[in-house]
This record gives sequence, C-alpha cells and structure tokens, in this order.
Amino acid sequence: MSVDHKVSSLLPLLSSPRLLPDESEAEFQSGLQSLLSELDNPSPLAVALVSQLNESLWWIKRHTVDKELLLHEAMARLLSKAGSYGEIYDNRKVSEALERYLDGSADNDEAAWIEDILAKSKLTLSDLRVRAFKDAANHIKMVDDLIHRQHQTMRHLQRSIDSIDYKSRLIKRMDLELAALESEQPVKGALTLDAKPS
Amino acid sequence: MTPNHPRSLANRCNSLKSTGPRSVAGKWASSQNSRKHGLNSAPDFESSLEYKALVVLVAEEGFSGFACADIAAGLLNYRRVMNAYYDTYTSPEPVNEFMHDMSVKGSIPIFREMLSESGSKPQDVRDMAAFFADMQRQERRKGGPVSRRSADSHKLIRYQRNGIARLSRAVRQG
Repeated sequence: MSVDHKVSSLLPLLSSPRLLPDESEAEFQSGLQSLLSELDNPSPLAVALVSQLNESLWWIKRHTVDKELLLHEAMARLLSKAGSYGEIYDNRKVSEALERYLDGSADNDEAAWIEDILAKSKLTLSDLRVRAFKDAANHIKMVDDLIHRQHQTMRHLQRSIDSIDYKSRLIKRMDLELAALESEQPVKGALTLDAKPS
Repeated sequence: MTPNHPRSLANRCNSLKSTGPRSVAGKWASSQNSRKHGLNSAPDFESSLEYKALVVLVAEEGFSGFACADIAAGLLNYRRVMNAYYDTYTSPEPVNEFMHDMSVKGSIPIFREMLSESGSKPQDVRDMAAFFADMQRQERRKGGPVSRRSADSHKLIRYQRNGIARLSRAVRQG
C-alpha cells in the first residue's frame, strides 16, 4: 500500500486540521509530506498520528506569531494611553498605524504621527517595547503555556508513533522467526518420523 | 417538612407559574444557553460511522479488539478537542471599542444632562460615572483580540492534555 493510499484510507474519517484564511494550504501540506517521508512504516494509524503532529507544529507557529502580536497590541495600548493626555486617540487607529510603522509600510504622514505621539509621551520605540513586555507579561505567559502544551502533545505523539513502529518491527521479526521455524520443522519432523525405535 | 406545610404548598403553587421551557425542543435549546465549547459533555463515538470504520482500519494493523476501540475513540476525542480549540481561537469575545475608548470624565456632562430629567442628585451622576469607569477597566483588562483569543484558548489546555494522554495511552497499551 502506498503512503498516499494510506493517507486517503484513514484521514478522511478524522476531521482535518483547519487553517486560518491567510494561511497557506500548500505550506501545511508540504510540512505533512516531509514528516510522512520520515516514517519507516507508514501504516494508516501512523499517518493519522503524524497528521496530528503536523497540526501541533502549525499551532506552535501560530502562537509564536501571537507573542509578537501581543507585544504590538500592548505597545499600541500604551501609546494611545500616553498620547491621550492632550487629545483622545482611537486605540484601533493607533494600533493599525503602529503595525504598519513597525512593518516599515507606513506612509510619511502615519510615520510622523506615530513619532509625534512617541515624542509627546517622551518614549523611544525600545522603551515602549520594554514597557509593553511588562504590560503584556500575563498574556505572553499564557501563550508560552500554549506553546509548551503543543510540545508536550508532540512528545506524546512521537512516543505513540515509536510504539507502533516498534510493534510492527516486532511482528515482522516474529514472522521471520516463525517462518524460519516452519522451514526447519518438516526436516526435524522427518527425522523423528524416520527414526524408528530399535 | 410535611407536604401540607405552608412553605411547601407555596412552592408548589409557584412552580405552576414557571415560565421555563416545556417542549423537548425548548428544553434542549435552553440547555445550550451557557454552552461554550461543549467539551464537558460526554460524546457518543460508538454509534458514529467514523468510529466503526476506524475500528476496522486499526484492527488491520494487528491491534486487539479492545485496543482498536480505545484508539478509535481516542482519535475522535482528540479531533473533537482540537476542533473546539480552533473555534475558540478564531472567535474570541469581540472588543467593545466604544467602552474601550470612551472618556468617562468627558462624559460626565452627558450623564448629568441625562439624569437631570428624572430629577437625580449629583451623587447619582458620580455613581453612573463610577459604573462606566468600572466597566471600562474590565474591558481594558481583557486587552485586544490577540490577548482575548490567547486567554480563551488557555482555558482549553486541560482538555488537550487529557485528550492526547488518552490517545497516547490507547496506542501504547494496544
């Protein structure tokens, strides 16, 4: 049975991992294929477990991006709070402008506006980042917990895959030994039958 | 308490006035009112077609009957948890931007104007401002969309831990 056939036999019975609208299906599938190519014995169950492993890796990527986004969120919050002594800033507007400013895709007006709020609040970008880290520490810890959970899940899945591999190797070895014994048996049986008591 | 006790009779009379759901569909609908992810309800995998097909496929790999049943249920349960995890992650509680950005201090004249029509006292205006300030604090504490989805997903960690442990145990003991 080919790997593709094994993938098609068990995976349709399980709900497949869902992707976010901006994520690449091709990238997800190529990750899965590279993991499947590492399998010694791609049985349907092993393929199903590897698929779960690939999903865990994908979640780790998502949560790692979230850690940076949490920092940006906290930076925007601090910035809109710091700038609101003189006038009221819309948190979403500051957040979107800051995102583009950090990306380097902000236009001149937007960049000047962000720099103006930074100057008004007497902060540099690195100061703001440090403060944001402190401000978002609770949520960053939560995301760290989520990443840790995925690592633990991967460990469980790896152990399960190893046990299937070991089991199949054991069955194969026992089959070989049994075949060897069976091939020896008729000869021995023949000898015992032939040996007539004197 | 005897059935003829006044309190007991009053309870019986009051229960007749109950406006709760009466039909099966109504009861089912109201049972879903506080449903968040559904992971606390006991799933019935055994009667599903997927379960039966999984058991047959896993049996072909040389697992015993009990192990096949455990592995199939473990796999379906793990998928159920991961689907709930995805749903929680992708639909966090929306940010109330009005509450988040409003200036409570700046709104005091508006509160005053609103309450003056009903002849309220200055203390009432202060109470209203304090109420909105408290709501704003709560809203801001929850953070933005990323903070909210992280906090919501964090609540499902124990379900993931139990789900993967069940699956892993079933495979390794099989």
